[in-house]
Amino acid sequence: MKDLKRPAFPGGTEEENPVDRFVRAKQREFGLQAKGRADRRTLARRLAFNLRGMPMPLERVEAFVRDERPEAYRELVDELLASPRYGERWARYWMDIVHFGETHGYDKDQPRENAWRYRDYLIRAFNEDKRYDRFVKEQLAGDVLWPGTEDGWVAPGFLSSGPWDLIGHMEVPESKTDGKVARHLDRDDMVMVTMNAFCSLTVQCAQCHDHKVDPVSMKDYYSLQAVFAALDRADREYDLNPVVAEKRKGLERQVLDLDVQIKGLSELVDGAKTEEIRGLETKIASEDKGRSGRYGYHSQVAGSQNEVKWVQLDLGKVTKIDEVRIFGADEYGFQDFGFPHRFRVEVSEIADFAEKEVIGDFTREDFARPGAEAVVVNGRDVAGRFVRVVATKLWSRRHAGQAPSADWIFALSELEVISSGRERKGVAVTALDSIEAIPRWGKANLSDGLTGTGVKPVGAGDRERLQKLLEAVAGDSLKEKKNCEQQLIEVRKKIQGLPKPQKAYVGMVHHGSGNFNGRGGVGGTPREIRILNRGEVTQPGEVVEAGTVPGIAPGEVIFQLKKNHPEGDRRVALAQWIVHPENKLTWRSIVNRVWQSHFGQGLVETANDFGQIGEKPSHPKLLDWLAVEFRDGGGSLKDLHRLILNSQTYQQSVGDNPANREIDASNRYLWRQNRRRLEAEAIRDTVLWVAGKMNFEMGGPSFRDFVIEKPQHSPHYQYHLANPDDPETHRRSVYRFLVRSQPQPLMEGLDCADPSLLVDRRGETTTSLQALALLNNPLMVRMAEHFAERIGDGKDVVESGIRMALGRDPTEEERKLLGGYSRDHGVAAMCRVIFNLSEFSYVE
Amino acid sequence: MSNELKSRRDFLNQSGGGLGGIALASMLGENLQAKGVLGEAHHRPRAKRVIQLFMAGAASHLDLFDFKPELVKRHGEKSDFGEHVEAFQNGLGPWKKPVWEFSRHGGCGKLLGETVSPLGEVVDEMAFVHNMIGRTGVHSQATYLQATGFDRPGFPGMGSWVSYGLGSMNQNLPTFVVLPDHRGFASNGPKNWGSAFLPAVHQGTIIRPGTPEPVTHLYPPKSARFLTPAAEEAAGNLLEKLNGTYASERGGDSRLEARIRSYELAARMQMAAPEALDISKEPAYIREMYGLAPDGTRWPKEINWKEEADYFGRKCLSARRLLERGVKFVQIWSGNDNGFPRRNWDSHEDIERDHGPLSRGMAIGAAALIQDLKQRGMLEDTLILWTTEFGRMPSTQGSKGRDHNPFVFTNWLAGGGIKGGVTCGESDEFGYKPADRKNPTEVYDIHATILHLLGIDHEALTFRKDSIDRRLTDVHGRVIKGIIG
Repeated sequence: MKDLKRPAFPGGTEEENPVDRFVRAKQREFGLQAKGRADRRTLARRLAFNLRGMPMPLERVEAFVRDERPEAYRELVDELLASPRYGERWARYWMDIVHFGETHGYDKDQPRENAWRYRDYLIRAFNEDKRYDRFVKEQLAGDVLWPGTEDGWVAPGFLSSGPWDLIGHMEVPESKTDGKVARHLDRDDMVMVTMNAFCSLTVQCAQCHDHKVDPVSMKDYYSLQAVFAALDRADREYDLNPVVAEKRKGLERQVLDLDVQIKGLSELVDGAKTEEIRGLETKIASEDKGRSGRYGYHSQVAGSQNEVKWVQLDLGKVTKIDEVRIFGADEYGFQDFGFPHRFRVEVSEIADFAEKEVIGDFTREDFARPGAEAVVVNGRDVAGRFVRVVATKLWSRRHAGQAPSADWIFALSELEVISSGRERKGVAVTALDSIEAIPRWGKANLSDGLTGTGVKPVGAGDRERLQKLLEAVAGDSLKEKKNCEQQLIEVRKKIQGLPKPQKAYVGMVHHGSGNFNGRGGVGGTPREIRILNRGEVTQPGEVVEAGTVPGIAPGEVIFQLKKNHPEGDRRVALAQWIVHPENKLTWRSIVNRVWQSHFGQGLVETANDFGQIGEKPSHPKLLDWLAVEFRDGGGSLKDLHRLILNSQTYQQSVGDNPANREIDASNRYLWRQNRRRLEAEAIRDTVLWVAGKMNFEMGGPSFRDFVIEKPQHSPHYQYHLANPDDPETHRRSVYRFLVRSQPQPLMEGLDCADPSLLVDRRGETTTSLQALALLNNPLMVRMAEHFAERIGDGKDVVESGIRMALGRDPTEEERKLLGGYSRDHGVAAMCRVIFNLSEFSYVE
Repeated sequence: MSNELKSRRDFLNQSGGGLGGIALASMLGENLQAKGVLGEAHHRPRAKRVIQLFMAGAASHLDLFDFKPELVKRHGEKSDFGEHVEAFQNGLGPWKKPVWEFSRHGGCGKLLGETVSPLGEVVDEMAFVHNMIGRTGVHSQATYLQATGFDRPGFPGMGSWVSYGLGSMNQNLPTFVVLPDHRGFASNGPKNWGSAFLPAVHQGTIIRPGTPEPVTHLYPPKSARFLTPAAEEAAGNLLEKLNGTYASERGGDSRLEARIRSYELAARMQMAAPEALDISKEPAYIREMYGLAPDGTRWPKEINWKEEADYFGRKCLSARRLLERGVKFVQIWSGNDNGFPRRNWDSHEDIERDHGPLSRGMAIGAAALIQDLKQRGMLEDTLILWTTEFGRMPSTQGSKGRDHNPFVFTNWLAGGGIKGGVTCGESDEFGYKPADRKNPTEVYDIHATILHLLGIDHEALTFRKDSIDRRLTDVHGRVIKGIIG
């Protein structure tokens, strides 16, 4: 791999486009004759698909065709680059490269509800023409380098774009071999996407052996794994509004401070306790012990009775549920203390209850007070791993006999799940919120096996006396503690009152519980990474530090980071190595991708692989010149597009030349422009647009052109049940919800990218199944009907149809044949034929 | 110069899609759809086609095919594996004997569980491999591994490799057909038979026999009344003419010719697919042999073997008809995703409840398929592989179930080039791990053997992706000589 230097021009003059000077030189070398410029109508269509991914309005095409000024072409390029359609087009390219998908893949292919934010980031970044070095850095470490900015929070969605083994993470702990394999695969995916996308370097084969050809050793590979060793894939919560973010930060700090204060005051009170007090406490505790209903779950206090609270049991695995029994708590003279007036019982396989089954719904009217009796809900044989009680109308905290207060709470002593006749213990209890006043109140008490049925409350005398004695020895501390506790409640209320945070699915330090706990619980420290002999997690070798591959950019291969550095430093170091001006791969890689987008093939044909095995560049000097120009010119992709699109090489016609073909059949030396099959998205978008149904709404959650069945287990994504007339699904294809396990039949038939693969270039196949998809897919057929409505019943249906769909006048043959066909079989049938014309799927 | 172009030829041939490949293909006058990349087999093939029977959820070797007297002897005793075992769900209860009695079958005297005894009729055609090992006990990874040779997404299914290597025998039907369980997909869904980086023409095509639209997009939606048969026929002619004009004005681009041809093939598939799947004219004795119930039979809610036999048998019969018509690779799935009530082989709770009906249904269909192929003279060049994700533990989970066992499980093969009535590779006395732990059999070996019987050297069928010459068997695989006849 040579250093990156700006090569001298191989000839030509200053007035010529630099691209042309290099291309012409090669053509001279091989005796090739360049083609002349394509006609304006062809150029308009070519530019439109290149930069918009769909046609431009017919009036604009006509205006361009009529505009004979020399600058008309240049202006059209600028106009198309300035359109938001450009960002949508280019985001889709990048989504191929990073294998972006919106379900996890693997088993139980669950949806990722918040992955779309990364897609929106990409559209924004391309439309804003973000500097390329910043674009790289944000995706690897935006959260570290630009904290508090939306792009900083969201861009690391790059790291989480690929597939993820839910079962290998959620059902298997990291301590087990299967859990280790899942996490190894996860990091491998992050390493692979980073090095292939930014550097066009394949390193993943070095996980089992040193790279046979390229200078990548196993140690280098695992040092790259170490860069991502603290990360998992999860939803990050963040506030868009900086004022709210600041507020939340302040309030969360107050919670921490108050916790510390309360702890200190409790210690003071403890220290002041006399023998008598301790004796009395022991007595009360021993009396309490027989009253097991006193150990339960207690929510935080809500500000209104209609706030929704929940608490849930994790059974550890999917379990068939016969029965759920709910027990009230024993407090203040009640045996159903905190028992909600209205509630639901739900079962789910996933902790966030994104999909669930409701087995008991008592939310329509107030539930009779259960007293000491267990409330039994029939499980209806539903299976799930998590059981949740959702309180929708809270109880007023008070002593028996007192008037209701405005402290709205939800409390229970026990939640029992019966399966196959016996009680199943929860392995963990989680709740929306909880007061953890151990041992009396705490989430964990909900599954401690202690229920309080039928036990009488202890006499109040001892308690009152205890309170008096305590006040005598530590009255001030008690008062202050109570004060702090009150403040804590207020602060928590304020946090709840803040606008809901945004969520984005990203690569991040995960704070979890159970098997999928991430590294949040250990302060975000990275996992120890060892070289794995033959890539086997059961054969760990020496420990490696974070680093990268030698010989590509200056600097140490093992990053020089201070001891106990935060994990983000590793990602920053790698990002800086990638965008180092002297990195031999980064700049060549991106200009090659841009080139490929305009010619259908790159200067290096293997855009993801610049290694020894990959293809050699057709025009090495041009590649280097463009890379230097791009790097030194500020990393503007739009400038690079302008440079290429304004070249004569780009504007050539696609016409044949048998003599040239003899010499260079694959047009490696660009003696003509290439006729290109449109991508799946471009075809679908054009169909919607031609039919007059395109919904240009930008951004936000993806549209779903399927119906999910059986969401509680493994979702079945049923595309054939979608309504082709749902306007939400008429948005541009870049906003389509991307399911990994079950591809969308039309798009798959048209060679769309497989989100499980890093796709550097779309496949281009021609099959009978593709023909059937274009003919018979329900969306295609429905849009043919809408297209016909748009044309109307005038006498020039052929002229209207061809002009709208192809941006030109019909030929005599088309007038005759399509006209006859539409008379015999209707305009809609004719429109379907137009959608199936070869010209509709190709751009010249 | 010309050397440089020639050296690129291999790459372009491999790349399949893409501009360069197309242009070159046109130069060489190749038909992209029909021909395999190999052109000619590496050596004389023993088999021409493959049927893969895939039991989703992980079928128990211990209760069906791999008899362990030690478990009968020690049934109910505390299990002791002599080492620490990481079970998937900690299903390490007492040793559990097979749910069914085993008895000897065929001339080879192979012991089969009573529930799969219908296979006894053809057991002399079958070769068993009892020392298969997997990599993990996670369904998705294990399914990928057995289906594609890799434990993660992004790799072509075995059928895709076969299609890529050998091409098509009948372009009116897909080369690689998948018959999924009608109740839902197994782990990973269609990714198990995707073409991944191979050209899309090689991906498995789902066929749903007995449904109004057995192949997605085969016909226009019913609601589109304007697409009458006459309009359809005229549209075909019209497209041929207009696309023909477009292509002829642009000589030298074979893609445009291929596109016209693809519409012809589509029209032919509309005729060929229903004919291939029409089992109504199969004689009664054949339907009976495959365990088919009369059409329109209503089934009880509970899982039962007659219903399972009907489902599986219809798939097996459809597979035979597809193979007769030139389809090269058929993958039949038994069992769907993990849902309740359970309709797959992942019997954590109750082996008898799930494995009973599923295995009996499977055995009836599979036995019929082998017999039927034999009586038609097709068995000698049709290779059958029965496989699953991994095995199940010799210990009890709960009171009636078995946990995952990725440490050992069973495959069996039959037909094209396979030596019948043999066992090659044993599990240990408990069926916990291979008897010879140093020399297990892996999916790579099974795949290498299948490719070998198809005339393909598994190390020489490759596709370059991101700088790696990918192959079905990764860097592994050895042909299992002991099961080749």
